[in-house]
Amino acid sequence: MAATRAAPHAREIFTSLEYGPVPESHTCALAWLDTQDWCLGHYVNGKWLKPEHRDSVPCQDPTTGETLASCLQAQAEDVATAVEAARTAFKSWSAQPGVARGRHLTRLAKVIQKHQRLLWTLESLVTGRVVREVRDGDVQLAQQLLHYHAIQASTQEEALAGWEPMGVIGLILPPTFSFLEMMWRICPALAVGSTVVALVPPASPTPLLLAQLAGELGSFPGILNVISGPASLGPVLASQPAIQKVAFCGALEGGLRLLIQESVWDEVMRRLQERMGRLRSGRGLDGAVDMGTRGAAACDLAQRFVHEAQSQGAQVFQAGDVPPERPFYPPTLVFNLPPASPCAQAEVPWPVVVASPFRTAKEALAVANGTPRGGSASVWSERLGQALELGYGLRMGTVWINAHGLRDPSVPTGGCKESGCSWHGGPDGLYEYLRPSGTPTQVSCLSKNMNYDTFGLTVPSTLPAGPEIGPSPAPPYGLFVGGRFQAPGARSSRPIQDSSGNLHGYVAEGGAKDIRGAVEAAHQAAPGWAGQSPGARAGLLWALAAALERRKSTLASRLERQGVELKAAEAEVELSARRLRAWGARAQAQGHTLQVSGLRGPVLRLREPLGVLAVVCPDEWPLLAFVSLLAPALACGNTVVMVPSAACPLLALEVCQDIATLFPAGLANVVTGDQDHLTRCLALHQDVQALWYFGSAQGSQFVEWASAGNLKPVWVSRGCPRAWDQEAEGAGPELGLRAARTKALWLPMGD
Amino acid sequence: YKFCGRGLSKYLSWISKIQVNQPAVLRRAEQIQARRTVKKEWQAAWLLKAVTFIDLTTLSGDDTPSNIQRLCYKAKYPIREDLLKALNMHDKDITTAAVCVYPARVCDAVKALKAAGCSIPVASVATGFPAGQTHLKTRLEEIRLAVEDGATEIDVVINRSLVLTGQWEALYDEIRQFRKACGEAHLKTILATGELGSLTNVYKASMIAMMAGSDFIKTSTGKETVNATFPVAIVMLRAIRDFFWKTGNKVGFKPAGGIRSAKDSLAWLSLVKEELGDEWLKPELFRIGASTLLSDIERQIYHHVTGRYAAYHDLPMS
Repeated sequence: MAATRAAPHAREIFTSLEYGPVPESHTCALAWLDTQDWCLGHYVNGKWLKPEHRDSVPCQDPTTGETLASCLQAQAEDVATAVEAARTAFKSWSAQPGVARGRHLTRLAKVIQKHQRLLWTLESLVTGRVVREVRDGDVQLAQQLLHYHAIQASTQEEALAGWEPMGVIGLILPPTFSFLEMMWRICPALAVGSTVVALVPPASPTPLLLAQLAGELGSFPGILNVISGPASLGPVLASQPAIQKVAFCGALEGGLRLLIQESVWDEVMRRLQERMGRLRSGRGLDGAVDMGTRGAAACDLAQRFVHEAQSQGAQVFQAGDVPPERPFYPPTLVFNLPPASPCAQAEVPWPVVVASPFRTAKEALAVANGTPRGGSASVWSERLGQALELGYGLRMGTVWINAHGLRDPSVPTGGCKESGCSWHGGPDGLYEYLRPSGTPTQVSCLSKNMNYDTFGLTVPSTLPAGPEIGPSPAPPYGLFVGGRFQAPGARSSRPIQDSSGNLHGYVAEGGAKDIRGAVEAAHQAAPGWAGQSPGARAGLLWALAAALERRKSTLASRLERQGVELKAAEAEVELSARRLRAWGARAQAQGHTLQVSGLRGPVLRLREPLGVLAVVCPDEWPLLAFVSLLAPALACGNTVVMVPSAACPLLALEVCQDIATLFPAGLANVVTGDQDHLTRCLALHQDVQALWYFGSAQGSQFVEWASAGNLKPVWVSRGCPRAWDQEAEGAGPELGLRAARTKALWLPMGD
Repeated sequence: YKFCGRGLSKYLSWISKIQVNQPAVLRRAEQIQARRTVKKEWQAAWLLKAVTFIDLTTLSGDDTPSNIQRLCYKAKYPIREDLLKALNMHDKDITTAAVCVYPARVCDAVKALKAAGCSIPVASVATGFPAGQTHLKTRLEEIRLAVEDGATEIDVVINRSLVLTGQWEALYDEIRQFRKACGEAHLKTILATGELGSLTNVYKASMIAMMAGSDFIKTSTGKETVNATFPVAIVMLRAIRDFFWKTGNKVGFKPAGGIRSAKDSLAWLSLVKEELGDEWLKPELFRIGASTLLSDIERQIYHHVTGRYAAYHDLPMS
């Protein structure tokens, strides 16, 4: 009896010492699919939704191609059902005290803990990812995320006073993603009191399982609804009237670019190849492989990239213990790729690494920042000074020093440039799903007959409207660009009327070339200003405040001509000066240190300037709104291009006279002219890092559409006026949040 | 391979610049344990292989000829014959790699192994084991006497004070003298990594020990508070690889201390396989210093063959 269990070929293994299969049983995943009769629908309002007469797509094991289940594809009415469920749930969910929401999230974490085997085998089975990664990484982090956000929810009333949940959040997930990416977004949304409708790509069972686990908790069934359907349903979800925000999620991390200093190139390449040679690929459900598969499409993508790179002159190294058949693709190192070849610019697919040499740290920084992407990067160096220099210099959302891929619920993760500007985790993640209390509910009012091609394209010509009359001195004339008043490129002017309809003065008519010049001037000033200490920035803002007070009578009289009473006009000037002082003081308190579990050493949460920030000011409060927007932008280290109030740009130009004497050239630039036209120029400028627009609903829609070109963060008012004289709306934390971006800098320590 | 004169000082200045990134090493150590496992017949075969790497050790104050004799018998017959038969491995002559004892017990061990009719080498610890805090003269004499008594492998401890004060050249000279005193016997140099203060020191000491002619570098004596750990092992294995890349010489690796379970031994095998490759997985280049590991491996084999967990009395003691 003893001998029956003995292996036939222990002898051979004894000699070869090879690895064997370590299959992870996935019977529980199959049993779960069986409970659904091998047909998955949508999970809405705590119940399975399996409408009739819907197309279905097969959910396949990416390794074998075997069909595991069929998945029903949602249609517009299913989306509407889900949104309605979320909207109903929002009423009771958002009314709960934070502590109750926290308790609910903790219960969800415990349910995940109890059913984690089902979760990890299902995820690995359908995505082909390595089960160990899902088990030890994703599932654990998912629970940590819930626990962290449960704590945030329970302190919400004190810590986030003045903010309220947005409402129903629409979440759109890409074709390949890890369920963890969904957790990063739904945890903060649920914690602050929002509810979620997630549109997952066809054939992704894990989010449905998560929704089921959440739904079966009993209370609040409709807070998380998952519908699966094609990407074409995205616009349908986004256009539902109840949806207050749409969150997107990028695809899984692709390949990598590796920059290696020339002096250590040979050594690093040798070690890299040695290590790559020991990587094992195989079925995701094997407990001893390093890499799974991401299906046939990812395999083709990698193959095409490698072939192209080869044809463009690159060398390719492939190694590792990889099953020969599709859809497995070996880990690939591409090097000696000519820098100007198309592949050197293209996005690198998984599992490919493109290595290229650099000479100095400065060059490395220029190369790394010279891409449109800005998600995350790691710096490897034994010299602390050098590593920090690079860590601070990289325009990325996350930088790890001597580490890679670490994540924690309390550390904000996000990106800049084309990696998107949304954040998850940490306090930044919470604000994504909050809005200042009292902000009007966003009614989806996308105008269908908006013509993006012609909005603000031409400037209506303006003719002389008579001589300027009124109190001297005459207002300053010109565009304030690069520290001085300049004549506009168009060499024409527009008349500004006062409240009684008389001519108040002429301002320059700015155009596309002037915007280009202003953005250039702002870029030139940017590194110097960002390098200033917060104290120095505060000093300049305070100096400007003092100058405003000295100019009080002129400013007040100009406001008077716009129909403001003298008392109120003086108060506006005084309040403007106070705003400058307040933001000067706030500039000093930026960023902080985080301590995360499992890591020795700090994580720095840095608040960095966005770069060049364009601001289109509202018509109302021509002085106060201008200053209230200028102050936080400058305090956070940005340089600005401002389009002042269209109704009365003269007050902004008055302030520019002081800016000219106090500030470095190019720090603040003011361009007057036709607001729609200038907005168009700014929104279509690729090198403007952020755009704030306070104007019409139509303009807002254009700005959002046009800014998609470089995914710059935008802030639009949709035609709603703000109470600039109130502390909350005129100088609230929202301005500070939007005026800088976060960077997480991980600094593991140890000797 | 000899290092002397300018060649030596060139190497010493290179060594002085080495930096080991501790957090990264810790992460790699964590990864490697989670990423590689073997199951079923692979596990049985690997465990039997692990047996052939064991330096079966007893280093106690109460060692006497009788328990040395028992140890030697166990070294010759590490796994019950019927279990090996069940695995069809009974003709593979599976023994442990060596027995390892104190110098005063070398004679007993040599005699016992001779009586059992086998050629398993006897290893002796030496040079003021475990602290190394005796005069150089007596340390060298200790090596010579152990070799005279028939030990063919000498596990020496290095002088930790030389590492902690950065006297690399002096350390090199001392180990050279150990090497000479060993003569034909193999020199296994114990770095006592738990007392070296940092991973950077571990790397440097590993390099010096290999340059001075050690056949093996060994993690610890088993008497320090921190013994064979994965991070330390990774640093030593990388040093071995770098030394091989630079000189073409293969130096062996021996973790010792705290390796008690069969599962641990599998992790050590896969660590060496991952970092150095299959060519290092042979008794000439890899040993595990352990005293109680063998009985746990035997229990696992018993379970693999019979499907039952062994009672304490089912397996012979060592």
